[in-house]
Amino acid sequence: MNKVSAFSSRNFKEIIRDPLSYIFCLGFPLVMLLVMTIINDSIPPQTGMTIFRIDNLAGGIAVFGLTFVMLFTCLNVAKDRSGAFLVRLYATPMRSGDFILGYVLPTSLLAVLQILITLAASFIVSLIVDVELNPLGLLLALLSLLPTIVMMIACGLLFGTVFSEKAAPGLCSIVISLASFLGGVWFDADGLGGVMLKICEVLPFYHAVKAARMATALDFGGYLPHLLITLVYSAVVTIAAVIVFKSKMKADLQ
Amino acid sequence: MNAIETKNLTKRYKTKTAVSGLTLSVAEGELFALLGVNGAGKTTTIRMLSCLSKPSDGECFVCGHSCISEPASVKNVVGISPQDTAVAENLTVLENMRLICGIYGFSPEVTKRRIDEMTGLFKMNEVLNSRAKTLSGGWKRKLSIAMALIAEPKVLFLDEPTLGLDVLARRELWSVVEELKGKITIVLTTHYMEEAEALSDRIAIMIDGNLAALGTLAELEAQSGESGLENTFVKIASQFGKGGVK
Repeated sequence: MNKVSAFSSRNFKEIIRDPLSYIFCLGFPLVMLLVMTIINDSIPPQTGMTIFRIDNLAGGIAVFGLTFVMLFTCLNVAKDRSGAFLVRLYATPMRSGDFILGYVLPTSLLAVLQILITLAASFIVSLIVDVELNPLGLLLALLSLLPTIVMMIACGLLFGTVFSEKAAPGLCSIVISLASFLGGVWFDADGLGGVMLKICEVLPFYHAVKAARMATALDFGGYLPHLLITLVYSAVVTIAAVIVFKSKMKADLQ
Repeated sequence: MNAIETKNLTKRYKTKTAVSGLTLSVAEGELFALLGVNGAGKTTTIRMLSCLSKPSDGECFVCGHSCISEPASVKNVVGISPQDTAVAENLTVLENMRLICGIYGFSPEVTKRRIDEMTGLFKMNEVLNSRAKTLSGGWKRKLSIAMALIAEPKVLFLDEPTLGLDVLARRELWSVVEELKGKITIVLTTHYMEEAEALSDRIAIMIDGNLAALGTLAELEAQSGESGLENTFVKIASQFGKGGVK
């Protein structure tokens, strides 16, 4: 466990000492939260459009923020792989499991902190705009997002292992865009219906956002399937990331 | 017991044989230089000896442990400073050293003692709290070697440790390596003839993955009929049809 905690501590410091991680992991989601709240305030009530209301935004923005945790996990892994640093560590008694845990644990902590800050900011905004947000609902939203945290970090590990330092950020940008649009963060996927909804339902992001929103609203009718789908996706992506990381490490040492 | 023994050590890639039938031994406490032009197989040899690459054929042993069947035991007794500077850029010098101590499971007392020793050996007091990314090439290389040494390895692999350094930084590193001489076994790869000449007890010259010559400088000079390592190296290389020199 010494090896894991030493490597985790290094990865935690590497990420939090990069100013971009604050801008993207924290600043950007909070700015979007405020901007969308202002936009919501400008939407005439008679349109009946509630997608940008804070009780809907909170869960969506939390999922959106997690995509940046994926990006920074990916960058951390890809950077290490492109330099000689991992070569040095490969020559130590560290095993593949130590590397994986060392990458995953600090980013999991960062992800939980990010969600806590996002949900706390949402609660403050809800008091300002006078929309009821139940603190218990926010806590349950955090718990509902645990599988999504695992999935996003596993995605980061997977992309960082497979792609180069230059290619990985581009690929992550595609996933960030897909997650925010096809997750229904910025539009009402259910209201749209048709093929678009079908596409959203195939991917995990829509279900992650739905589970978080339903938990926030303490509305558990039909909640479980959304949670189960994100659980299945996170399990599949995690298994894929572990297999790919281990086989890449084995190939590096051939 | 020899610190390193290789028997018919071979590494083949799809289209190339990087190391071919290398048989040699390095005594405990010896400073052994591997010389060769780019692509001669020096780094590949070091990679196999530090369990970073599996041999295609043959055997290699470090401190009596097989690199093939006992990689975990080998990894506990070797330290490597790779060709490219291998440090965590956003960590300070102190944190980089702590990281390696943590990976080897050192107690806080041992960690402190080893960091103090490395700080003294490499005179790193002034940069101890500087982030690695802000260091000059010379300091980074020192830190990289300190990270290889901090776990008290019995065998230290230095892969072109002074590549790209200015003459003063190079001489500083030489003095550190000289201080280590006799205390641990060191395998050094280098392109700089004067470096191998100044530091090493024995020299192996590799050409195209083959061991072209092996011995002390005096033995190599006698073998080639030349004086000075550079002339000796050129003569041996030309005998192997390398370099276009006669």
